[in-house]
Amino acid sequence: MRQPSVIARRVAAASVSLVVAAGAAACGPEDNDAKGAGVDSTPHKGGTLTVLNSDPQQDFDPARLYTSGGGNVPSLVFRTLTTRNREDGEAGAEVVPDLATDTGRPNKDATVWTYTLKEGLKYEDGTPITSADIKYGIERSFAPELSGGAPYLRDWLVGAADYQGPYKDKKGLLAIETPDARTIVFHLNKPEGEFPYLATQTQFTPVPKDKDTGTKYEEHPISSGPYKVVENENDGEHLVLERNTYWSASTDAERKAYPDKIDVRSGLDSSVINQRLSSSQGADAAAVTTDTNLGPAELAKVTGDQELAARVGTGHFGYTNYIAFNPTIKPFDNVKVRQAISYAVDRSSVVNAAGGSALAEPATTFLPNQKSFGYTPYDHFPAGASGDPAKAKELLKEAGHPNGLTVTLTHSNAKDFETSPEIATAIQDALKKAGITVKLQGLEENDYSDKIHDVQTEPGFFLAHWGADWPSGGPFLAPIFDGRQIVKDGANFNTGLLDDKSVNAEIDAINKLTDLDAAAKRWGALDQKIGEQALTVPLFHPVYKRLYGKDIRNVVISDWTGVLDISQVAVK
Amino acid sequence: MTEAVLAAEAPGAAAPGASGARQFWRRLRTQRATLVAAVVVALLVLVALAAPLLTAIEGQDPTTYHPSLVDSARGGVPIGSFGGISGDHWLGVEPQTGRDLFARLVYGARVSLGVALAATVVQVAIGVVVGVAAALGRRWVDQVLSRFTDVIVAMPLMIMALALLAIVPSSFPRPVLVALVIGLIAWGNIAKIVRAQALTLKGLDYVAAARLSGWGTWRIARRELLPGIAAPVITYAALLVPANIAIEAALSFLGVGVKPPTPSWGQMLTAADVWYQAAPQYLLLPAGALFVTVLALTVLGDGVRTALDPRAASRLRVGTGRKREARA
Amino acid sequence: MSGLAGLTGFALRRTVGALVTLLAISVIVYVVFYVTPGNVAQITCGPRCSPAQVQQVAEQLHLNDPLYTRYLNFLQGLVAGQDYSTGTSVQHCSAPCLGLSYQSDQQVTALILAKLPVSLSLVFGAMVLWLILGVGTGVLSAWRRGRLTERLLTGVTLVGVATPVFVIGLVLMIVVCGQLQLLPFPQYVALTDDPEQWAWNLLLPWLSLALIEAAAFARLTRAAMLETLAEDHIRTFRAYGVGERSVIGRHALRGAVAPVIALNANNFGGAVGGAVLTETLFGLPGIGQELVHAVNVVDLPVVVGMVLVIGFFVVLANAVADVLYAVADRRVVLA
Repeated sequence: MRQPSVIARRVAAASVSLVVAAGAAACGPEDNDAKGAGVDSTPHKGGTLTVLNSDPQQDFDPARLYTSGGGNVPSLVFRTLTTRNREDGEAGAEVVPDLATDTGRPNKDATVWTYTLKEGLKYEDGTPITSADIKYGIERSFAPELSGGAPYLRDWLVGAADYQGPYKDKKGLLAIETPDARTIVFHLNKPEGEFPYLATQTQFTPVPKDKDTGTKYEEHPISSGPYKVVENENDGEHLVLERNTYWSASTDAERKAYPDKIDVRSGLDSSVINQRLSSSQGADAAAVTTDTNLGPAELAKVTGDQELAARVGTGHFGYTNYIAFNPTIKPFDNVKVRQAISYAVDRSSVVNAAGGSALAEPATTFLPNQKSFGYTPYDHFPAGASGDPAKAKELLKEAGHPNGLTVTLTHSNAKDFETSPEIATAIQDALKKAGITVKLQGLEENDYSDKIHDVQTEPGFFLAHWGADWPSGGPFLAPIFDGRQIVKDGANFNTGLLDDKSVNAEIDAINKLTDLDAAAKRWGALDQKIGEQALTVPLFHPVYKRLYGKDIRNVVISDWTGVLDISQVAVK
Repeated sequence: MTEAVLAAEAPGAAAPGASGARQFWRRLRTQRATLVAAVVVALLVLVALAAPLLTAIEGQDPTTYHPSLVDSARGGVPIGSFGGISGDHWLGVEPQTGRDLFARLVYGARVSLGVALAATVVQVAIGVVVGVAAALGRRWVDQVLSRFTDVIVAMPLMIMALALLAIVPSSFPRPVLVALVIGLIAWGNIAKIVRAQALTLKGLDYVAAARLSGWGTWRIARRELLPGIAAPVITYAALLVPANIAIEAALSFLGVGVKPPTPSWGQMLTAADVWYQAAPQYLLLPAGALFVTVLALTVLGDGVRTALDPRAASRLRVGTGRKREARA
Repeated sequence: MSGLAGLTGFALRRTVGALVTLLAISVIVYVVFYVTPGNVAQITCGPRCSPAQVQQVAEQLHLNDPLYTRYLNFLQGLVAGQDYSTGTSVQHCSAPCLGLSYQSDQQVTALILAKLPVSLSLVFGAMVLWLILGVGTGVLSAWRRGRLTERLLTGVTLVGVATPVFVIGLVLMIVVCGQLQLLPFPQYVALTDDPEQWAWNLLLPWLSLALIEAAAFARLTRAAMLETLAEDHIRTFRAYGVGERSVIGRHALRGAVAPVIALNANNFGGAVGGAVLTETLFGLPGIGQELVHAVNVVDLPVVVGMVLVIGFFVVLANAVADVLYAVADRRVVLA
């Protein structure tokens, strides 16, 4: 997944802000107001859409962006082989063709994937888009100068592990073939039934080799989508997009592209963004944000105002905030201790610390509570809404700690709602009732990230979160629980250090499936099984609440991104 | 010169004589505003020291969550009027967590005042040592120390604080660390003031006489210079305390201040600013506490300066005196 | 001071001193950030980068070189410029080259040139306001000393000292822009693009910053004026029946000019990089905001470059303060 918020603003920005905003979220089942005010009025072409963001579109280069489903603003400029379905809710979690005619044709064991490009595809300068350009775009994402993307291409493509990109290695990637200008074939190391999901990421954007300017490409990337970059000030702080006249709606079933111009302004304080959207004066009436959630304080105000409440879009992005254990460290090697903590956790306090029930839903499963992930409800250690300290004490006694226990909880000091000190203190307060004294170890963001992802320094008990690279169980479970993905000399995400043969085998078996619905069911079952080991304590799934300006129409919020899809928005 | 200007509010090189201390107290007693300020400061310190006692009387503590006292569906805004003020929670509760605001405010006073005072002590100590050494030392000593002071003054304080706070292991007690970091970074101006003042004193007859009569540098510094430096230093220090409280708040805003669940006023303000509309008292309480503290410290600082510096005192009498004459 | 020769000598000494100061600052920043936690290559590469990739990025950024080599390279770039590769071509960063940002691959000098106008716009405008507010308040309270007016004014300026800028700024913004809709929400417009919009958009940031600084000027002005008022020649004027207004305006204020100039230069220098919170809150893409971000991602070239620019302004402002102070008060000798 992307591990967003982390340090790297680049990563966060790239991640479409989905992440960044994870702040608060909430959704209630009654939140069908996602369509907002404009839903019944027919959308029209024209006008200028303003985007008010906190993170700049830094590194606006398809090789460097780390997105889920191609991102929001990036997806206006970069088309990919496949893309996410731009529909509300569950349907929006499906993968659909974009530049390609279908979502990919696998061979029998899903190790070879073939795509055919649509006819009549053109760049902003009128030159045709070829399959070789897609291959080149993928190759340059391997250059150390253009790092930043997701790890999958390097892991999956045959012979790609040590490839250093086209600048150093002119031979190119042998795993990608382009037999003709419209066909592209990918050869994978092992079966990957979810390859169509990967092909939504911006690394699958065509880049014409003769226009490549290396690290300078981000200043003016060549558009294949409905808009082109006409201004890029201060490294993505202010971006102006105008229509790409060579883009044709007949080749693009997904992007509506109603506004004539899109003005993206970033570097704004989140409370200022929400204040501007709520006042909706002047150009702000036709404004949205792609990275800033309503915070709890703002929500308190918005819920009391019908006009404002009608302008809030609610969505869900596959994301889980949880407590992680390192079972090699005492006393967390004892499953009873881990279970005791699972019982003692007070999810209602945690949810409040994360912004309240409108912005966070209590979680008992590691997988997000959406169908596309194969969500299978379970609650192995039922703690109720506010914890079961009696049961926890009992387990502690069985574990040999009749007089309670003192442990250290590591968390980040970063000021967001996910792993924040507020959540750590909520857990500290709840565990006190079960006789567990929690000492807090708050680390600076970089230090925290280094420590929890290094098997040598990983603490025993810490706050963590995980988000979806695409809405399926694969990228959600495999990096965290696949024993072969334990990294000893670099960033490790299998923090529970689980290396269970049956889990590994099941992951391999599911990856072979190209029937994504069948795969989803088995991911759900696997999640339930892994949950028995109590290697994590799921805490909550964030809900996205986004305010938009009063002239905004055609609000579409998919379960893939959880936020208003900018390619569907109209301002007239 | 600049340093002279920084000290301009605290002029008066006159060294208090033998009867200085008694005069000082006599003059101090005659100023009503100063006395009120002194009482307020004393009360604040008392509240900070007695925080556990006060919260025990209230029956609350600063860290316990009360999820039932906030409206979870509305972002966690406190239930009830005026932020949930009740017999149990004298000043209401914190949004989202439901922690007791009175308890957090009085415990916050400990951290904010403690950090600010400790940082001021560090600043003054370093500033006086460096300033006096530069003034009395040989030329090269003065050169090196003055240059070093320039470097410290020219470094952006916030940035160095961010970096230093990230370096030190998190096991180090955080309030002590924050105080130390502020103290170690922001002593440049006080060193400049002390140096300028000490240079002026050094040129005065009685110091020269002391030197001629064979006193050592150390003895001169202790007996003749320090008393003369006291007035500007105390005045400047009275301004440093509120400035340091503000720095602690700013560090909290940037996420590197005192760590939760320890409350500080700065941290409360940072968390509360977005709640200004939904739960105003959450912002007004720490803001009000800070304002009273700064006001009291400033008035007290002025009073102490006036008492230390007879010239300033007579100067202040000019105005009021004239008025009385006119009335008469 | 003996005229031109004295001034030249002063300028020369100050320049050398400034260079030494700035070099010392760069060394300190290098060392401090070298020991700061954070795996720079991993941060730059992205959290999911494999160890091999991280290694490639580390080599690309010369992170494996010893500290002194990296510092010497930095000095070399400063003096002689430096070539770098974009992957497809070789570009030149001409002296004084502060290197390339680890994160964005942009030249630090270009980054600074883009951000500096924002910070200078903010600080210059705020300076005008804090001088008006501060000196005005100071004069009034010296004039109305001991009366209610003075107490009220002192109280108001102290609100500025006692309230953090992010609280003042946010409340101002919500009330002025959101509820009263008197001003647009601030959004930086370059002075060269549209001077009128530049001023309107910066008005609130100016006011927030000015409120914080004004109190010091008010106190300084008042103190300096009261001191002058106590001097004998003022008593003489009064004795001859010169009006109070004239005494205050013509004579007493003159005594406050020199210290105010000097304090102003001092604060101006600090504010160029010190307005971090104001910039962050109002979304002004200035030096301070960029610097905080660079610190968070351990982007050493950007941190060093920007700290040096800030240091330069502090040193410059102090030198200007000394000159102005000497000009305003002939008794002072430049040293």
